[in-house]
Amino acid sequence: MANAALLRHVAIGRYLPTGSPVHRLDPRAKLLSLALLVVASSIGVTYSTSAIVFIVLLGAMIVSRMPLGYTFGYIMPFLPVIAIASCFQLLFAHPSGADGSDAERLIASFGSIVITWDGIRLVVVSLIRFASLLLVISLLTGTTTVSALTHGAERLLHPLTRLGLPGHEIALMAAIALRFLPILGEEMEAIMLAQASRGVGEQTSRWRILANARHMAALVVPLFADVYRRSEEMAIAMLARCYSGGRGRTSLSELRYRPADAVALGGALLVTGMVVLLRRLSLP
Amino acid sequence: VLPSERGIRRVVVAGLLLAITLLLAFTPQVGFIAVPTPAGSATIAHIPAIIGAILEGPLVGLIVGLGFGFASWSRATIPAFRDPLVAIIPRLFIGPVAWWVFAVLRRARVGTLTGMLAVLLALLLAFSYQVAGQTLWLGILIGVVATAAIAFLFVWVRREETIIVSLSVAGAAGSLTNTALVLSAATLLKYWPADVSWGIAITHGIPEMLVSAVITAAVVAAIRQLGARRGSRL
Repeated sequence: MANAALLRHVAIGRYLPTGSPVHRLDPRAKLLSLALLVVASSIGVTYSTSAIVFIVLLGAMIVSRMPLGYTFGYIMPFLPVIAIASCFQLLFAHPSGADGSDAERLIASFGSIVITWDGIRLVVVSLIRFASLLLVISLLTGTTTVSALTHGAERLLHPLTRLGLPGHEIALMAAIALRFLPILGEEMEAIMLAQASRGVGEQTSRWRILANARHMAALVVPLFADVYRRSEEMAIAMLARCYSGGRGRTSLSELRYRPADAVALGGALLVTGMVVLLRRLSLP
Repeated sequence: VLPSERGIRRVVVAGLLLAITLLLAFTPQVGFIAVPTPAGSATIAHIPAIIGAILEGPLVGLIVGLGFGFASWSRATIPAFRDPLVAIIPRLFIGPVAWWVFAVLRRARVGTLTGMLAVLLALLLAFSYQVAGQTLWLGILIGVVATAAIAFLFVWVRREETIIVSLSVAGAAGSLTNTALVLSAATLLKYWPADVSWGIAITHGIPEMLVSAVITAAVVAAIRQLGARRGSRL
């Protein structure tokens, strides 16, 4: 069961206190600037735009003193899937140019299989985007405690509560999900090992659907039962502590913007602006 | 609004199911099951949305579905799934559809359920006959799989375990919603032709539907038993 150990690599949701300037940023500023960078990375469709976003995020990672291996070690099990998807996309997808025209510069064609420079660009840009997104997720969860993240998200969603959207509940839900992700990863690992010790092995030939489904059920059913038990306990614990939702709730530490937050937000705005500009100029 | 026990439970369950969705979507060796199709694997990452909807209502299903859509959007390396209209919006409907199907079937009696299964079988056989007109082996395959699945459900109906039948059908319906809406969106937005969509529907959609039916029924039945033992009214 070598697979079981892989689950420990779920780096998402683990806080790494290194005390860097990134850690000290206001969670609202961090959420907003990272959201801006995500937008920038998804509207950028060229080499230059995705490279800018990626380099900025890499810089932020270095400033935050988080180990890069931590983030990229996690995608190791994904690599075969990503490689196959990329090849497939390269051979069969026919992208249109950055300005919407069919500017496909041909490299080679074999019947219906056509390789173009634009196809290669699309694949490379998708891969950089994926790496950028991983960096965003590790930056956010690695440098912010879950309570700070919840608090920040709640304050950001606060204006929406007037429209009847339960900002506090949404932030709480997201916080629970992030907090429990590593715990459930470990739980899953424990279940896999426990079932292996009872003789439930690896998934075998893919023709044995029923055996594979049973194998899957042996892992998933205990996981869901565990989640149910945990949620029941957590709801009771919250009730016992007189949890009463978001309305009229005050917090121990009020969030305040500081100059560093303005720098972070300004930087993110600058990057987004540059991406939009470069897109307009349709550089490579 | 003073949150009731129910309200708190909803928030907590939705949060934990979101965590499972992310876990299943981001760890390939857990979230996928090997099947004998060219694609090689069927996902089960949409099942938490179905289970959330059945246990705690359509809103929880919708939120967990949103999380699933977001996960699939964010890890996408294929352009179609970089489009929120394909990756996120269709996923919102998984939970509500599963909840609705379950809510309708749960109240049905054995006789009604038998009738419904007969109608479903007739529809599926008509569909497979139509497919057989174009591709013979595919039509026969669909017919055989449909008959076997319905016969299996019929055995449970006879045993008066209608709850198992409603859970399986709700699980299958949620999975079918996912497949149908995502592929229709991708086809309508011209990411790939309709033929490709049909191919994916058969190689991915059918195995996912069967796996989803089995796992939904197994999980919810286990949780209900657990709840009954602990004196909880679920």
